Formats: sequence, C-alpha cells, structure tokens
Amino acid sequence: MLSLRSLAKRYDGTSVFEGVDLEVAAGEFVAIVGESGVGKSTLLNCIAGLDTLDAGRVVVAGAEISALPEASQAQLRRSALGFVFQAFHVLPHLSVAHNVALPLLLLGRPDATAVSAALAGVGLAGFESRMPQTLSGGQLQRVAIARALVHGPKLLLADEPTGNLDAATAERVLELLVAQLRAHGAAGVLVTHSAAAAQRADRVLRLRADGLVDA
Amino acid sequence: MSAGATVPLLALLRELSWSHARHQPGRHAVAVLAVALGVALALSVHLINESALREFSAAVRQVNAQADLELRGPRAGFDEAVYGRVATHPLVALASAVVELDGVAFDAAGAPVPLRIVGIDALVAAALTPALLPRPDADADRLVVLDPGALFLNASAQRRVATPAGTPPATLRVRGGSGSLTLAVRGSVLADGPPLAVMDIAGAQASFGWLGRISRIDVRLVPGADRDAVLRDVALPAGVRAAAPDEAGERVSNVSRAYRVNLTVLALVALFTGAFLVFSVFSLSVARRLPQLALLGVLGLDARARLRLVLAESALVGVAGSSIGLLLGTGLAWLALQLLAGDLGGAYFPGIAPGLQVDAGALLLYGALGVFAAVAGGWLPARLAQRIAPAQALKGLGLAHAGAARAWVGPLLCLVGALLAFAPPIAGLPIAAYASVACLLVGGIACVPAALAALLRGVAPPRHALALLAVERARHERHAAAVAVAGVVASLALSVALTVMVTSFRDAVTRWLDEVLPADLYARGSAGTSGGDGATLAPALVAAARALPGVARVDAQRVTPLQLDPRRPAVALLARPLDAPERSLALTGPLLPARAGQVSVYASEPLANLYGLHAGRTFELPLPDGRRVPVHVRGVWRDYARQHGAVAIAADDWQRLSGDTRVNDLALWLQPGADRAAVQAALRQLAGPEVPLEFASAAELRALSLRIFDRSFAVTYWLQAVAIAIGLVGIAASVSAQVLARRREFGLLVHLGLTRAQVRAVVCAEGAVWSVAGAAVGLALGIAVAVVLVHVVNPQSFHWTMELLLPWPRLLALVAATVAAGALTAWWSARAAAGPDVVRAVRDDW
Repeated sequence: MLSLRSLAKRYDGTSVFEGVDLEVAAGEFVAIVGESGVGKSTLLNCIAGLDTLDAGRVVVAGAEISALPEASQAQLRRSALGFVFQAFHVLPHLSVAHNVALPLLLLGRPDATAVSAALAGVGLAGFESRMPQTLSGGQLQRVAIARALVHGPKLLLADEPTGNLDAATAERVLELLVAQLRAHGAAGVLVTHSAAAAQRADRVLRLRADGLVDA
Repeated sequence: MSAGATVPLLALLRELSWSHARHQPGRHAVAVLAVALGVALALSVHLINESALREFSAAVRQVNAQADLELRGPRAGFDEAVYGRVATHPLVALASAVVELDGVAFDAAGAPVPLRIVGIDALVAAALTPALLPRPDADADRLVVLDPGALFLNASAQRRVATPAGTPPATLRVRGGSGSLTLAVRGSVLADGPPLAVMDIAGAQASFGWLGRISRIDVRLVPGADRDAVLRDVALPAGVRAAAPDEAGERVSNVSRAYRVNLTVLALVALFTGAFLVFSVFSLSVARRLPQLALLGVLGLDARARLRLVLAESALVGVAGSSIGLLLGTGLAWLALQLLAGDLGGAYFPGIAPGLQVDAGALLLYGALGVFAAVAGGWLPARLAQRIAPAQALKGLGLAHAGAARAWVGPLLCLVGALLAFAPPIAGLPIAAYASVACLLVGGIACVPAALAALLRGVAPPRHALALLAVERARHERHAAAVAVAGVVASLALSVALTVMVTSFRDAVTRWLDEVLPADLYARGSAGTSGGDGATLAPALVAAARALPGVARVDAQRVTPLQLDPRRPAVALLARPLDAPERSLALTGPLLPARAGQVSVYASEPLANLYGLHAGRTFELPLPDGRRVPVHVRGVWRDYARQHGAVAIAADDWQRLSGDTRVNDLALWLQPGADRAAVQAALRQLAGPEVPLEFASAAELRALSLRIFDRSFAVTYWLQAVAIAIGLVGIAASVSAQVLARRREFGLLVHLGLTRAQVRAVVCAEGAVWSVAGAAVGLALGIAVAVVLVHVVNPQSFHWTMELLLPWPRLLALVAATVAAGALTAWWSARAAAGPDVVRAVRDDW
C-alpha cells in the first residue's frame, strides 16, 4: 500500500534524512518513532506529496505520488489518504457532521449515512449538529478520526494523534483509532513519541538521519 | 494608569510591538501615511482658508476705521451735511468723512483692473485709518496729499498697473461712478488686500460725481462719551446707520464660511478613510499576532492590558502620522498660497496674496484629530485582542468567541442618521447633516453582519465542499465580514455619494444655464465681474445697440449690490425686462399674481431661504438714496450663481424707484444669418474706447461656467481616488488577515486533497463575494448619503436646491471597477494561502 525507496530530504543543503526505505502492506499499521527534529513530520509530508524529495520515490496505492503533478497528487490525497493531526484541526465554523463530511464533499459524493456511521463508529452518534467549540479535546480528536476514515482511504497518516490528550483519553482515542483502522481495512502510519502508542502498531520503526531501523 | 501598569505596557510596546512593526514595515508605513495624508489635507485646507480669510479681513479692517463709531450710508452715499453735525458734536473727538466707490483702472496695456477708490481727508484720517494715510513719493511735495488730482496706490494696485519696467505709472486712467479721468500717481498707501487707490476726498467727489455726498463717517468719541447719546443728537437720516465695529470682518467671514466648512469636511473624509486603513492594518496585525497575544494571555497579560497594548500601538501610528501630516500640511498650505494665493476654487478672496499664518491651536487640533482617527481605527482590533479566549486561540479554534458587536447598533445609527437629516442647520451650517452622513456610514457598515445573517438564514448548507466552507464561514463568522467589507463599503459609499452629488449639481447647473442664457450674445463693461458701478454702460448705448444691423433684440440688465442685512454679505439686485417672468426666470414654484399698488420682485432661492422671503411675502427694498420701499415677492427663482441671494426686478420699476438708468450687461438676440463679429465690432465702436466691452456667446458662457464648476469640484475626484485606493488596501489587509487566521484551515484543505491553486481560488472567490456584498451595501449607502448631501447639505450650506440624479452607468461602472479591483486585490493577497507556510501551519505540533 505504501512503498518508500531511498528517500532523501535536505533543507538548505543540510540533510534531514536519507536512505529511507519502507514497505507497508494493506491493513498493516506501522509506528515510526524518533527524536524531535529528526524529520518525522517531513517524512509524512513527503509521503503525502506535500513536500518535495531530494532523492527516492514514494508509491501510494500503486501510484508514484512523488512523480505526479500537483493536481494528481491532490486527487490521490483526496481519495486514498486520511489524516489525523495532533492539533485536531476541526474547522470551528462547521458543525461536527459537516467536518466529517468534508472529504466526501470534496470527492463529490455527499453521504449523510456514511457520516452518521463514522460518527457512531467513534462513539459520537447524535453529535452531528454540535459545533466544535462545545466539544472536549478527546471528542475533537474522535471527530478528526471519523473525518480521516469516512471516505474509506487506503492509507491513514497520523501524527501524534494523542499528543494533546491526557493519558486516559489518549489510551481510549488510540484504541478507537486502531479499531477503526482495522474495521476499514486501511493501512496506517503513526508518528509518535509515545512508547505506549507505538506498542499498538504491527511494527515499530525508528527514524534516524541515515534511514529507518527497527526499534 | 498606575506606574506599575505603565512599565509593562512600555516594555511590551518596545519588545513586542516594535519588533512586529519592524517585520511588517510596509503595512505600518501605509497606515502612518494614510493618517499623515488625512491630517495634511485637512490642515492645509484649514491653513489656506484661515490665512486667506485673515489677510482679507485685515485688509478690510485697514480700509475701515479704528473708530468708536462708523456711520455708514447706502451705496449711493448720503448728504455730507451730516458730517458737519457729527464733527461739531461736543462728544466727538475726531470725525473723518470718507467716499468709497468701485472703479476700474487701465494698466499700461489698456486692460481694465478693478480698483477700489477711497477718498479721505488726509489731515484727519491719519489717526483713524493709518493704513490709508497717503505716503508721497520722495520727490513729491508733502502737500500733494491734498491735491485733488493725485492718487496713492497700495501694493496690489501698484503691481497690477505697473509699467513694463515694473515701476508704478506716472499717471493712471480711472473710471468710477459717472466720471472717467486720468490722475497722477504720486505715492503709496500701506493698506493690504485687493487693488486700492486713495485720493483726497474733495478730488474724489469732484471726479466721480459724488459732490455733496459721502459714503461713511469714522468717528472717535471723547473718553467716556455715550455712543447712543451722540447718535440721538446727530439724528442720522434714513439709510444711514451706525455699523458695529466688527461688522465688516464678520461679513467677510460669512461670505465664504459655508464653502470653507464644506471643503474642510471633504478634507476630513480623507482622515475618515485613513481611520479605516488603520482599522484594516491593525485587524491584520492582531490576526497575525493571535498566538502571541493568546500566549501573553496565558502568561498573565489580562484582557484590558491587551486592549491597551493595541490601542497604544494605534495611538503611536496616529502620533507618527499626525507629526508627518502636520509638517506636510503646513508645507502644502505654503505651496498652495504661493501658487493659488488662497483661492481653493471658490474665488472668495480675490486680489490678495496671503502669507502662511500658522496657529498652534490648529496644529494641536488637527494633530489630535489624526491621533483620534488612528485610535478609532484601532479600537475594534483592540477589542478583538481584548476578547481573545487564550485557550481556544492556542487550540487553533480562532476567534469564535471573540465577541460580536451588538446587532442593534447598526440599525440604531442608521435611524439616528435618518433623523439627523431632518434637523435644521446649526449656526447656519449643516452640522447635523454631516453627523447624519457619519451615522449612516458607520451604521451601514455595522449592519453588514445582520444583513448577511438575514441573507443566509434561508440558505441550506451547500453540498459542494468549497461552497459549504464559504457559506458556513460567512454564517458563523459574519462579524469578520464587517471587517472584510468595511473598507469597500466606506470608500464606495463616499465615491458614490460624491459622484451622485456632483452629477446632480452639474446637471442642475447645466439645465439652469440653458434657461438663463437664452440670447445669442452677451456683452458687459470690462472688469464688471459682479456688476456694480465700475463697469456701467450708458442707456444711450443700449438704444444704439438695438438699432444695429443684425441685432433683433437687446435686453439690458442692471446689476448692483444691495445690503439687506448689515451682518450678511450683500445680495445682488438684477433689474432687467421681466414681461414674462415665468419664461425668463427659472422659477422653482408658482408665480403669484401681481399686487395692485405694490412693486413686484422675484427672490432667488438662496435669498428666499436666507431671509425667509418666499413667494407672497412683502419686504422693504433699500434704494441707493437710503429710502426703503415695500415690494411684493411674486415668485422664487433658481440661481446657482449668487450664493448669498439675488432680487430680480423689472427694469422699469427699478428705474422709476431709484432713478438709476445705468446698465451693466446686454443680452443680444441676433437676426438669422447675422455676423456675430460684425455686431461685436459695431457695438465696440458705439461704446468707444472709454468703455471697453467684453463679449461672450451663450455657448462660451455655458462652457466657461461648466469649466469653473469642474475645476471647483476637481478635488472631489481626487478624494474619490484616495477613498477607493484606501478601500482596496483595506481589502488587501482584510484578506491577508483572513488568510493568516485561516492558515490551518487552508493547510487542512491541502491535506484533504485541494491543490494550492484551488485554495487560492477559494480565497479569491470569497474576496470577490465580499467585494460584491460590500459594493452592494456601499452603493445603497452611497445613494443614501447622496440624498443627504443633495437635499440637506447643499440647501443648508448654499441655500439652493436641485434634483437628485443617479448616473447609473457611472455608478455601475464604479461598482464593477471596485468589485474587479477587490477580486484582484484578494487574489494578490491570497498568495499566502497557497504558499508553503500553509502546509507547515498544520504541523504546528508535528
């Protein structure tokens, strides 16, 4: 589902990482850990086609995203990728249902049933008309998970999805994330500092300047 | 504020605000410049007007006496026997008789120069009117001041009639009253102001047909004398009255007051739009610093301190802008006085060359106005900074709870504005109407969120993602809409209002000119710009003109000033054939039947409004000899030429009442095929070299009038351009602020599969939609303001009325240009929405 070959990224001549290789199978859940500043976020951007590569290639769902023009990259993100962020990024002026529905609307196939099902899947049935300002951090992240999976993506990219949550809530959210990932049959790449979070993955890798190694 | 609170504020200004301003020097410089321009424009208009007015008033005061009493008669003068009674009164220490008349001098090239001729008794006038004391040339005898054939010119007259070598002429040909003669120039006088010549009173009386008559008596009483007792004792004849000491100065001020106030208000418009720019820049600044301000909130900077911080920043922008503006305004005023001699288009201060007179009060006032405008512009952004919910802001939930203006404020301000439009003038000025305009503008902008809410109430959430984002954002953050469109609304409303007002006025003037210029050709004595006695034509000339080949008809008009109220400027009396007033006058209302036994007159609209002389009223018309006769106002006519009023009367009636058979203007209807040049030449020959004539066709007069009109209103086009430019900068700042505030949103959209171009298109489309909404509101508001300007400000300022004319093609072009410019500006400002920062914005925590 995801294939990284000899990825290298430099900023202003300084290498962030190089020689990054990774294969993620369909339905597989991989966790990437590493020190701050090692380039975990940059790696996720490169996977999503949101940052340029200095070397290597990225293949997502059979398409070499790193070689596609911007419009095709965007189309691939729209249809095949889901994102969960540390800071939730739930749009404050949209209702919960509209936030979750956004990927479907962008694909041109609005589906209220799918939205309700996604919300029910994260334990937020009946929250459709609520506004984000009325939700807790844990609830917001659950909305973000529902949004990330509502359109049936093949690959979910999650960056520190529990970074803004307390331990108990983080535990519940992570459990939910993994369960939903499994339920949708999607592959997942999780970037995290949390050893507990990483332990839920099928594989745990460490990102270093010279590539990915088993943790 | 306590010392403890001051120190952190200063420290924050130094450490945070200054570093932020240094990183955004362009935007802050624009805000400073906007305030500076507003202050400069307003201050320079004030200084120019004040300098001209002071100079003109000083000149008037110099010609008038520094006396305890000034006994002034009608224009034609009064019996000099009164002087004997006054001068010999035991309570009178000094009395000086004066003859004043308007004349014409002819320069070296034979061109006419308007000249005020003052006859005085040099032996007694020195103590009362020192500026008029003749100063003989070095080679002249001291007693030349008593020579009836000697003239003494002020500096302005010397300049105008100078020889090609630049020296005063030895002799000067002068016309005045009934006389025309050549006098010897023997010296000078110190009096400033328009061209003036002083001569011995006996010489003036003999030369200009004033024998036995004088214009005024300046009186100095013995210390402690009772002014009223003296007036009782001397028993002034009809038409002679004791003028108040400041009467002349006040009259001079009144002449131009409405014009000066309107010009100042127009200049303040620039400051008003400058305040909007400050508002836009600080809205952007607060949006940019939202995380910083939120963090400061978390660290303990309370809400009031955040408010004070942003207000202090805007005040600093105001201080900087005002400081530059004061310097710039003073420089502009100096330059304008050098180039325009104090005439900003109204032609109220002819013949003077005022120097710049700067007073500290004006500097303080306009400096404070600049700071006030900046602080007013920074108020809403400061309130936004105050209302930040730090935790929400740090969580990326924006300013959802940043507070909203009360919904009733906008409608209430509009209602107050509408009511103020019906208020009468205050001290003769449309103060309430200006307040009405301000309330309508601010209220209209404040109504935008409510209008948007009403508009969106029935709109279901769209099923298209981008439309959904736009609609729901507009619905839930509609107060941001007010910020986004405020600049467009304000600038377009002002532009529309000025366009409608100027177009309505120009159209009214054009139609009026068509009505008042029915003849083919017009002739008048040279230098007779406003009628009077300096450029009169003999009745015989009129009769001879009627007999000229090619001439079908000649109407003669006598124009002479009338003083109906000593504290007001003189009104014009127009005596002309009025057999069919409904055709020859542009009547604004019904023509009443003539009253038997009473002379009929026709009041111009300004006269009717200023003096309450509406159709059907009777009033006493002052005659040149001081008598007053009751006359009946049969109708009111439209007159855009004489702001202070005019009375039209049938020439026969005027000649019968006054005995004045002179005329100033001729209107000639030519026979078909007649040669205009031949008629002009024949008429010139008839008039002779002593009476130079000026000719103009109706088309030429019409074109000239419209050219003067356009020149007078040219400043409004500049103001429109400035307003639109400031509105566009406002859009740029608003869109930039929106983009900044929504960086994470745009970043998310990119992650969800939008291309950068699509994100930019979203921002651009929203900018265009806001521009359309702002333009719609601005158009409606501009028309409302135009109604106030046309139907309230104009009648209250200038006492004439006009129809409202909406030039739709121009207005729609203005709206289309604003929308297009708004969309382009938004597109340009939206670059940041498609930049790499947007992707990074999402990784705040990555």
